[in-house]
Amino acid sequence: MSTAVSDNDTSSGPQQAGPKPPPVPEGSRTVTLKIQRFNPEFDEEPRWESYDVPALSTDRLLNLLHYVKWYLDGTLAFRRSCAHGVCGSDAMQINGVNRLACKVLMKDMLAPQGKPTVITIAPIKGLPVQKDLYVDMEPFFEAFKAIKPYLITYGNEPSKERIQSPADRERFDDTTKCILCACCTTSCPVYWADGSYFGPAAIVNAHRFIFDSRDQGAEERLDILNDAEGVWRCRTTFNCTDACPRGIQVTKAIQEVKRALLFKRV
Amino acid sequence: MTEVERHSYDVVVIGAGGAGLRAVIEARQRGLSVAVVCKSLFGKAHTVMAEGGCAASMGNSNPNDNWQVHFRDTMRGGKFLNNWRMAELHAKEAPERVWELETYGALFDRTADGRISQRNFGGHTYPRLAHVGDRTGLELIRTMQQKIVSLQQEDYAEHGDYEAKIKVFAECTITELLKDGNAIAGAFGYWRESGRFILFETPAVVLATGGIGKSFKVTSNSWEYTGDGHALALRAGAKLINMEFVQFHPTGMVWPPSVKGILVTEGVRGDGGVLKNAEGKRFMFDYIPEVFKDQYADNEEEADRWYDNPDGNRRTPDLLPRDEVARAINSEVKAGRGSPHGGVFLDIASRLPKEEIKKRLPSMHHQFKELADVDITGEPMEVGPTCHYVMGGIEVDPDTASSDVAGLFAAGECAGGMHGSNRLGGNSLSDLLVFGRRAGLGAANYVIELASWPSVAPSDVDTAAAEAVECFEPKEGNENPYTVHAELQDSMNGLVGIIRKAEEMRAAAAKVEEFKQRAKQATVEGHRQFNPGWHLALDLRNMLLVSECVAKAALLREESRGGHTRDDHPGMVADWRNKLLVCAIDGDGVRVTEQEQPPMRQDLLELFELGELEKYYTSGELTEHPERKESI
Repeated sequence: MSTAVSDNDTSSGPQQAGPKPPPVPEGSRTVTLKIQRFNPEFDEEPRWESYDVPALSTDRLLNLLHYVKWYLDGTLAFRRSCAHGVCGSDAMQINGVNRLACKVLMKDMLAPQGKPTVITIAPIKGLPVQKDLYVDMEPFFEAFKAIKPYLITYGNEPSKERIQSPADRERFDDTTKCILCACCTTSCPVYWADGSYFGPAAIVNAHRFIFDSRDQGAEERLDILNDAEGVWRCRTTFNCTDACPRGIQVTKAIQEVKRALLFKRV
Repeated sequence: MTEVERHSYDVVVIGAGGAGLRAVIEARQRGLSVAVVCKSLFGKAHTVMAEGGCAASMGNSNPNDNWQVHFRDTMRGGKFLNNWRMAELHAKEAPERVWELETYGALFDRTADGRISQRNFGGHTYPRLAHVGDRTGLELIRTMQQKIVSLQQEDYAEHGDYEAKIKVFAECTITELLKDGNAIAGAFGYWRESGRFILFETPAVVLATGGIGKSFKVTSNSWEYTGDGHALALRAGAKLINMEFVQFHPTGMVWPPSVKGILVTEGVRGDGGVLKNAEGKRFMFDYIPEVFKDQYADNEEEADRWYDNPDGNRRTPDLLPRDEVARAINSEVKAGRGSPHGGVFLDIASRLPKEEIKKRLPSMHHQFKELADVDITGEPMEVGPTCHYVMGGIEVDPDTASSDVAGLFAAGECAGGMHGSNRLGGNSLSDLLVFGRRAGLGAANYVIELASWPSVAPSDVDTAAAEAVECFEPKEGNENPYTVHAELQDSMNGLVGIIRKAEEMRAAAAKVEEFKQRAKQATVEGHRQFNPGWHLALDLRNMLLVSECVAKAALLREESRGGHTRDDHPGMVADWRNKLLVCAIDGDGVRVTEQEQPPMRQDLLELFELGELEKYYTSGELTEHPERKESI
């Protein structure tokens, strides 16, 4: 497949599909997206494909990926859903860093005027690639399920709500923000080296319940995380904290779980 | 015969948003085996985008609240066109559903004494929305996802198989429902990853597929919202009602263009934010409709006092129901008093301390900072209407959520009736929980009582498979499905949008007809494996069918009410209040007919004062009201 081209000077590119030429917004600049492609039907190995796409400084990278899909190459596969950082579907490696494509603004990516902008996009690392930017999320969700991510209580259920003070609720607020996008886990060098490590996201979700004043399952979860594949594998590289699109203090949460374990052992 | 992966379940739930997940939990609790099929990854459904909260008259913030007040607010919000039985069940059961969610482990913001905190929202008399900052939908989905994980672990302990009772089929699309006579017998679809076909043999299908917003250009809805459930139900012989009523949320982002339409929560106004035009005027005071004059303040002083003393003052008109606010914004922009990018200003910066804004509205703060480079603690937001919700949907029995096709149930946004002509903010999350549960229960009871299962005819599977791959055949027109989709969105937005006229709606219907022909010429390249072009070509079929319903029903309703505003028929007409427009499949198109609703039960009718009812009802409909009888 040849590289698709569209720039500001010509109204039509050679790869245009459908009767209309791809639109080029006024004031846009041409950006080259270098995307890792992989189609298991044909490809032995992933390959790189470049697309020239018009970009406004107010665009997000997701808009550019849509442009490729809608006008240049309809076969490009990537996940996306809500398009503003809530659902956590479009995690990808963008210039080597895990980000959500819908939260990357082009104004932060454009090279100084006159210089070409090339953006490299690859699937998140450490999970099997299914096609293009799609990865198999199953191992990630397996780790999430393993830490018992649900409220564990004993005794009778109340007929109304359980009482929880604003301060108790605040205690674990940070780790309830997780959107399970996998940016943290797939930026972790320990996880890359060994996929059996639970990974930061699973520990964040364990933290959410361990520190919930209503929950009575902390010990079960701490036992699970005390395992060889648990929290002690963390080398505090802070990649996960940097990668989190929700600003969760991931490494801090992991440290708090470690401390809880130490404290219980003491 | 078509090569197809086969599964058999007691109940198949299509859609893994709030309504779908609640239905799954209910059917599983009744001992049945359930498959849940969703287009996205599990846990990423559109419900995660709901921000403001879940309406339930728990009375935690104001003890005067109860189901009767909630019921009245809901009926008023829908301009009395709601299915009153659904509104009644919803108002009565919402508190139980919220408390139940809390026992599942949901996080909520709390009152000082540790109960679930409730916030103000448009059209609700009292602070009524249980919430978690401005990410309530995310928490609701996460909680039910977690509940399902816990049920699966229980099932593992009992049966040695996590998926003994509940199996998730994520990134899987259903393209057709299959029947045996007039009863549901199965559902046919494909794995998005491999393109392989999949067949569910099941006597009961719960549709919980959400809305239709992707037929419009400016929308807060995500890519999944292509009216799949609406279209599947139509093609299976069920009926849709209220399709002319489409809610435009008054506050979507208007700038920059790449984020136009993304939602700005009503919670901003609930927490004190006010709308202003380019002259800095709080213009909502000029737009209080006659029917709401008693409940909304007509001056700034009273409106501002209301936040601290809601019992002694009328509420701010910034919190009128959404249809009213959206129209007001539209009028201000049209009159040349809009913001630089074609919206109006929403100001919270001058109303609350910086830290308080960040605490109460963290996602909004984040969203504007990151996507628009605007700091909402220091400057106003620019906002304008965005297509947000469809009140119309599958006609169902209120108590069981059953459609008139045996074995076909529907809940949530894809079901119709509950919200009448306009939904109140906060009433959709409660709707999902109340009717998601009822649909799961309805389906379970149906299956339990069934003497024998209907069977799927092999020829129906072959037909469904042939239709699914039809777009791979080379055609003369060689249409690009993305282009047809983009043009459909332009037409619906421009011609059947927030303000409507007969000639434009006729043009829209003609356009949809043209797009249908062009969509038949759509040709998709490549193979079935992860082929987004193919997926869109199939979704487009649904969007076109649903768009036809919207355009045709809107043209017939010659009045303005709720989410249906006509320039050529600006007033609300009492004779139209009780009429439903019902869409049914007719060949490869849609036929719309009028149908009367059953009159409201007397005890519910008596919850309203005669004076208020007279604003909506014809005189003849009110002869049984006690106040009327007294006066005779």
